[in-house]
Amino acid sequence: MSTVGAFCVTLHEDKCINSRMPGKCATCVEICPYGVYGLNGDNRVVVQNYNACVGCRLCAEFCPENAIRINPAESELVSRYPWTLGTIEEIHHKALTGGYGLRGFGTMGGPTPHFDGIVVVPSQLASPAPRDKYREECNLEVVIGEDTCEKPIKLQYPFLFPAMSYGALSREAKLSLAIAAAKTGILTNTGEGGVVEEEPYYANGYEKPDRKRKIWEPGGYLVVQWSTGRWGVSADYLNAGDAVEVKIGQGAKPGMGGHLLGDKVTEDIATIRGIPVGSDALSPCRYYDVVGPEDIKKQVEFLRDITNYQKPILMKLGPSRPYEDVKAAALAGVDAISIDGLVGGTGCSPEVVTQGVGIPTIALIGPAARALKDLGLHRKVKLFALGGMRNGLDAYKAMAMGADGVGFGTAAEIAMGCRGCMACHQGNCPYGITSQNPKMRERLDPDEIGQRLANFINASAEELKILTMLSGHSDVTELSEEDLRALDVNTAAITGLKLVGYERPLPWWENGHAK
Amino acid sequence: MAHAPSVLDAKGKDLRETSTELKAMLAKNSVVVKNASHLHGLCGGLKSGEITIEGSTGDYVAVVNSGADIRIAGDAGKYVGDNMTAGTVIVEGNADYGAAQYCYGGTAVIKGNAGDFTATMNKGATIVIGGDVGAEAATYMVGGDVIILGNAGENLGNYLIRGNIYVNGDWASLGHNCAAGDVDADDVRKLETLLKEYGIGADAKGFRKITPVSDKPFYSH
Repeated sequence: MSTVGAFCVTLHEDKCINSRMPGKCATCVEICPYGVYGLNGDNRVVVQNYNACVGCRLCAEFCPENAIRINPAESELVSRYPWTLGTIEEIHHKALTGGYGLRGFGTMGGPTPHFDGIVVVPSQLASPAPRDKYREECNLEVVIGEDTCEKPIKLQYPFLFPAMSYGALSREAKLSLAIAAAKTGILTNTGEGGVVEEEPYYANGYEKPDRKRKIWEPGGYLVVQWSTGRWGVSADYLNAGDAVEVKIGQGAKPGMGGHLLGDKVTEDIATIRGIPVGSDALSPCRYYDVVGPEDIKKQVEFLRDITNYQKPILMKLGPSRPYEDVKAAALAGVDAISIDGLVGGTGCSPEVVTQGVGIPTIALIGPAARALKDLGLHRKVKLFALGGMRNGLDAYKAMAMGADGVGFGTAAEIAMGCRGCMACHQGNCPYGITSQNPKMRERLDPDEIGQRLANFINASAEELKILTMLSGHSDVTELSEEDLRALDVNTAAITGLKLVGYERPLPWWENGHAK
Repeated sequence: MAHAPSVLDAKGKDLRETSTELKAMLAKNSVVVKNASHLHGLCGGLKSGEITIEGSTGDYVAVVNSGADIRIAGDAGKYVGDNMTAGTVIVEGNADYGAAQYCYGGTAVIKGNAGDFTATMNKGATIVIGGDVGAEAATYMVGGDVIILGNAGENLGNYLIRGNIYVNGDWASLGHNCAAGDVDADDVRKLETLLKEYGIGADAKGFRKITPVSDKPFYSH
């Protein structure tokens, strides 16, 4: 019998049958093999030994009035790892159904190295003096395609909303993102599910849109995605945006294509994608019309041709071999490359893929920037880091490591109202973000939520500005690895950053390369 | 408006130069393009016009065709007619790997043979192959008609979800979710009209038809 209680047992007396009618129900007393519950002299149920509880939760499961709650007294990651309740549930699910686990959201828990092992170095005497956030200027603008396109895109902040498809997200959520993008001067992305009719209109910054008017004119900040499922792609679609993104992969499920389960395939989505209502849309993992890097280069060329050489062509990569992949992407002739990390989010993915496939974001940025430097293209071909960006601090760290900007995907969903229940794939999102159910969708007002998203972006940009200026810079492009230190040996080892206290990179790092 | 088509000689020109010239010519007249075998992605994203390309072509010719009528007098490279939404693409010779993939609409006719992964992810186009077709043809097709006059390779129609595949010859094997059956009177009428329109001599009654078993063939999670 345990002597230190690992679990807190709570009996809600207002629900408990026995507390109303002593002697009528004692299921918990009968069922608990450890004697946690007992009956007192009045036949009333009492918790007589909290410490005996092992957390099997059988009592809670069998209580007819749902009057019992069992909570871990300390993190179950510590007390039960590797057999956490999540793992136990996953095994039961497979044993009962024969199907593997699918879920939305992204990587969670576990020992994934992230930005928290890095700190920012402020300026004092030995470096350029800090700049005054309240009284001096700081440039956050980034231009994509400045020397290569007739219509380059000038971003007010070095941020973007990464690709999230119509289908994975509701129409209302897509429009909220477009509204926020236009309000803050950052990019939004159609994802692979075609364009929502009003999306280019909102992304162009119209404040009082006429929802009935069909707009195919380019907006201001809309990226249209060219992906492996090619859902809803036509010449009009490619010209409806301000840039075209060639999707190679994504952080949550690199090596796999988009997953949209049949429950979310409504009539509208089925029409756009050209599939039957209720049928799963499982995109191919690769382009059927590409058999090698040369073909990707040809695709970039014809996408430029179809868009009349006016618009930037972007490329999105999953987290695999960042140096080689980014080099290949840059050689294909794109204007910007997004590289998505292990922590990147998703509307639906096999659990084992989300959790265990890919490279952490902080380990991607250095090699990706190095690939561009080796080609003489760093800061010319823009590099965006995606995957687990939460605020201006994460953005600063990614940019000091060599990125030109960052993407907020999961954070944007949370800004829209998400509470992280991780069931995006089921299509019952109570906030109407990842649901196609009209009842849920009507809870999301694009104007209100668009403003919330814009607030989040503006606040994060202010954070980035504070950090840029206190480290002695007046332009985000001036940030470098010297502005960062690793807090622990592991972070120093995988990033090449100087270790705090040691004040040098670890011995096997020389000139930015691991020996 | 002139009656004789304009002639565009693409020799020594890159895609941008050729494309700019082509679009200017198409505004006035139909166009014959010559010496364009070095160009990939020629005639991309056009919404109207009549174009004949003489000789053989590079890859991705007529990509994202959205309404133009494009005829290739010789052989086509890889991925001809990729992602067409409207219009016609006719190849008088053979087509290489991956012809007419990701098409939503329009008609693609390859009078000779076509390679592997032809008509993959067809979403509503009519795609006719006059000769034989390679392996994995019409993979993950979600709509439209694929008509094969000759023989088909392995795994024909794999993960077929919607639409019809008509085959006049034999196939090496059928993919997942495919059921083979006979053509009915409607099918015969449809095929006769189509074959006549594109000048292909074949007996429409001799075809067999492959249709999906279910429109939800994937593993249920």
